Amino acid sequence: MAYLKRSPWLIHYDASSCNGCDIEVLACLTPLYDVERLGVINTGNPKHADIFLVTGSVNEQNKEVVQNIYTQMPDPKVVVAVGICATSGGIFSECYNVLGGVDKVIPVDVYVPGCAARPESIIDGVITSLQVLENKYKKLREMSAGVEKVTISLSNIKEVQDILALQKLAYQSEAEIYNDYSLAPLTQTLEELKDDFGKKIFLKAVMNRQIVGSVRAYFKDDSCYISRLVVNPLYQNLGIGRKLLDRIERYFPAAKRYEVFTWHDSKRNIYFYKKNGYKMFKREKLTESRDNVFLERINKKVK
Amino acid sequence: MKVLILILAYLFLAPLVGGLLSGIDRKISARMQGRIGPPLLQPFYDILKLMEKETLVVRRSQNFYILFFLIFMIFTGCLFFTGGDILLVIFALTLAGIFFILAAYKASSPYSFLGAQRELLQSMSYEPIVIFSAIGMYMVTKSFYVFEIISFKTPLVYYLPGLLFCFIFILPMKLRKSPFDLAASLHAHQELVSGITTEFSGKALAMIEVAHWYENVLVMGFIYLFFAATPVIAIGMTLAIYFLVVLIDNTFARVKWQTALKSCWITAIVAGMGNIIFLFFMAR
Amino acid sequence: MFWVISLIVFPLISGLILLGVRNDFARGIIVKIASAIICLSSVRLLTMHFPRESVFFPAEFIFAGRLMLFFELMMACYIVYKGIKHKRFLTVALASLQTLALVAFEIMFKGKVRADNNLFIDKLSIIMALVIGVIGSLICVYSVGYMRDFHEDYRKEVKDRRRSFNFLQFAFLSAMFGIIFSNNLIWLYFFWEITTVCSFVLIAYKGTEEANNNAFRALELNLLGGLAFVLGIIYLYFSSGFIELDKVVAIGKAGALLPIVLLSFAGLIKSAQLPFSPWLVGAMVAPTPVSALLHSSTMVKAGVYLVLRLAVVLQGTLCGFMIAFIGGTTFLVASFVAISVSDAKKVLAYSTIANLGLIVLCAGIGTYEAVWAGILLIIFHAVAKCLLFLCVGVIEHKVHSRNIEDMSGLIVTMPKISIMMQIGMAGMFLAPFGMLISKWAVLKALVDYNPLLAIFVVFGSSATLFFWVKWMGKLITVTNPSERKENKIAWNQWFPLFALSSLTIIICGFFPLVSQVLIEPYVKEVYGQAVTMSRGNLVIMAIMLAMVMLFPLSFINYGKKVKVVDAYLGGANAYNSTQFYGALGRVRDMEMKNYYLEKYFGERRLIKFGSVLCVISIAIMLAILI
Repeated sequence: MAYLKRSPWLIHYDASSCNGCDIEVLACLTPLYDVERLGVINTGNPKHADIFLVTGSVNEQNKEVVQNIYTQMPDPKVVVAVGICATSGGIFSECYNVLGGVDKVIPVDVYVPGCAARPESIIDGVITSLQVLENKYKKLREMSAGVEKVTISLSNIKEVQDILALQKLAYQSEAEIYNDYSLAPLTQTLEELKDDFGKKIFLKAVMNRQIVGSVRAYFKDDSCYISRLVVNPLYQNLGIGRKLLDRIERYFPAAKRYEVFTWHDSKRNIYFYKKNGYKMFKREKLTESRDNVFLERINKKVK
Repeated sequence: MKVLILILAYLFLAPLVGGLLSGIDRKISARMQGRIGPPLLQPFYDILKLMEKETLVVRRSQNFYILFFLIFMIFTGCLFFTGGDILLVIFALTLAGIFFILAAYKASSPYSFLGAQRELLQSMSYEPIVIFSAIGMYMVTKSFYVFEIISFKTPLVYYLPGLLFCFIFILPMKLRKSPFDLAASLHAHQELVSGITTEFSGKALAMIEVAHWYENVLVMGFIYLFFAATPVIAIGMTLAIYFLVVLIDNTFARVKWQTALKSCWITAIVAGMGNIIFLFFMAR
Repeated sequence: MFWVISLIVFPLISGLILLGVRNDFARGIIVKIASAIICLSSVRLLTMHFPRESVFFPAEFIFAGRLMLFFELMMACYIVYKGIKHKRFLTVALASLQTLALVAFEIMFKGKVRADNNLFIDKLSIIMALVIGVIGSLICVYSVGYMRDFHEDYRKEVKDRRRSFNFLQFAFLSAMFGIIFSNNLIWLYFFWEITTVCSFVLIAYKGTEEANNNAFRALELNLLGGLAFVLGIIYLYFSSGFIELDKVVAIGKAGALLPIVLLSFAGLIKSAQLPFSPWLVGAMVAPTPVSALLHSSTMVKAGVYLVLRLAVVLQGTLCGFMIAFIGGTTFLVASFVAISVSDAKKVLAYSTIANLGLIVLCAGIGTYEAVWAGILLIIFHAVAKCLLFLCVGVIEHKVHSRNIEDMSGLIVTMPKISIMMQIGMAGMFLAPFGMLISKWAVLKALVDYNPLLAIFVVFGSSATLFFWVKWMGKLITVTNPSERKENKIAWNQWFPLFALSSLTIIICGFFPLVSQVLIEPYVKEVYGQAVTMSRGNLVIMAIMLAMVMLFPLSFINYGKKVKVVDAYLGGANAYNSTQFYGALGRVRDMEMKNYYLEKYFGERRLIKFGSVLCVISIAIMLAILI
């Protein structure tokens, strides 16, 4: 309940700061200000941290580092931008390599302006972020509990960009399995996807006004070919995939069989389809290291 | 029946005692540094917060090793506090430690890999002393069983001063404090990012912390054995030694692993073996 | 008696048959059938004899003595021939000395030298027979598949001499059975020499210069042991008038100590104790089944077997203490050296030497607890080490490397082998597995006898902890998941591996039964006292074993609710967990290498140091006696 507030662990990263704000951050740990009495610990490890304290205006060289550290923090997490450089770029905001503040790279929750920001302000910023942290935690709990709030509907071509982004995000795990980042779903272009929109039916799953899942299918010769069933990794294991599969099948009630395919080592996908009544019937080589595996489900409701 | 009560007591009270010890440690350290320090119950807040966080992994199976680390640590502690065979306790403790090390290896990240190696070095350093202590206790009380060692009439420290010294020498290593906190970094002492605990988050990290509390209670229990004949003094001495370790933690910097290994082994041979040889010739 | 004779003779006959069969597939079948028969015979021996006391057989074969002498001369000629051909004159000298001494002895006392009982069975023989029969036959089955792969890989370099390879394996098994059933020391010596010659030929199998050199080194050292053996027999006959093992044990301390020491000396050399360890390390150049059969599970056990038999006589003497000291030093030094080595087979070799040292330590102390611990060690070590060698053999063929650093991520590429290796490694040092029980028993035996020797055991076992966990960790670290390499392993290699893994676990679970049925009766027979482990501890260990066995189950719940992210590389990850942006923005690979601590545990320095200590001990021993 209130434990996130009592034990905030933070990670501090210097994104091309002049070190003025960093020294002030460290000053907070000294006996004069002593943030440890609030339970704050400065861990150097994003996986242990709740609060990401960023100083300095982010530049080309360290924007990926900031993103990387942000990704490696477990939820719920907050970002506190310390100093005017982190807020908006400060006096360096016109420089050619300065991006102009942390919020250009990752979402920021609390801004602590100042040059250099004084320890009192920094501590104040951290305390404010604690409340944000608590709110995020509550929302996360609600989200995992409220799967009924997912709505599935037809997608239209205006959402093609979101669908493409979702597709690329979701297939990251497949790319990891085969150590191949040139898989077809990851390299599909916007034009190709728009093309697809004309030929196939696209469904989308929406939660809190965000597209969190999608699937597409087309009908040919009594068979319905379903493909690219994707769910945002953050929203997996909530039953969304199953709902999407169910709905798209119902869009083609006349099909005698439904066919899907995946790759031979994608165990979770294969397991998912088998759980939903699909059986493997064919396996053929696609590339040196990957085979296509085809599964089908016979539609018993059709005579 | 008595066994069951002891097991349940250890199961539920040991994390509380361990957490309180940890809280006292942080408070005293803060005061030594002229600060106010966190509230006494801070470690419990930390654990509860960690339970609320997401669990991130690098390899899916890495947290299973942690679960077994916790289970075996509880098992070892129960074994010790129900009066079991002390050698078996030591071996079971090693087994638990190995699960922890393997978890860090499994995480397949450079920092956790290095942390695991250093934790192994730590294990190699203190194991001789722990076994020597057990042997020393056997030579005095003629038994390896904890319940018989406790009921020995004279405080063991009269016969085993050298071994007590050795044990206090490696106590910082077991409690993961300077100068021997090679493998992990607790809080502000960062070593190789977080060393062996680098790739663990959320519930797994909470499990590691709780397992460490169980271990600390076990280790302090071991110290208690040296004074067991007089229970009140024993508890006092145990707390005093804990305070001594906190003091050492705040005064010394971390040493290189070569220094740690050498110093532990030399102490083991000189003070530990010396004590045992002395006892052997006295018995003749 | 039929079973004893058949166990000695049947493998030899199978070997001779195999020598004649040209077809590889047919040979494979014959090997499997023969191995099965040997295995079942050993078990049958157990069921027939275990309730009984020791049995002695006169086994008077009229021409046995002459036949043995003839074969010994043949072997000596062969060795001399090979020695001259390769210009190894030390070999020639030793072989000649040895044979001359024996021939002189036989001629001088023609007819008068005879034993009342030539063969015998007691509980220790049954234990050893089981080890040889079961584990030996599993290795023979394994070697069929292994040698096929081996010759495919080395088609051009190594001549296909598999017929003689199989023959030698079975001849060796015969000889081992001969050793453990012989009461007549001259017969024992004969079988002992056969194992030496088999080892020599098998080490040199590859035919490279390195293999030849190592084979000769092994031969020289073992011939030295043989010489000591012969001198021991001669002195024994001169001083006490008999050549039977049981009489030696019965007379105990009343008899001369020198022959006992000489025999133990031969045993120490055979078991590669310091300063004679280099021959075993060098023997790792042989194909893996050879390493498993001869140099970890069976032949080297013959050496410690002999010392264990004599343990009751050595108890309490200074010589016994010296032998224990040598064993302890070997254990300590070999464990340290194993930390700094990265060749898998070398690590296993040093670990073998270390464990043999531990057994010798037990034998040197000679109390009933120590001997009990020693026999336990023999059993557990044979099973676990054999499993490890066979796994390393398979890995070598699939990964094409013997270096531990190349075994990273094996749990993904070869999961079953990985798990079996981990079972084997756990069996070598982890509670609640076998070796730990043995080490525990050793510690308990030591504290009562002389705590000073505990230094060896305690520091040595810390070192073993280090290098085994290091290796285990390397297997499960996965950086770049690659494809499976396990698919094409033959069934005749899987079967021994599965059998040995199950055996490791079963023996560990049922070790109280093993102890009660086999080991304790022997110890009681010899010492009049038996060791018992308290029931409470047994229950606790059973619980621990059950819990550890639960561990694999956790993989069923494949971490559904966890999110996978990259490892922390300071935020500089490029694409995945193994590549990062280094200086100048270049993408660099991340590598993780184990600590080998060469500066502190380096091979050369430590072996030199240990050898010096042991040579001093041997000198002291001989000085006292002469």
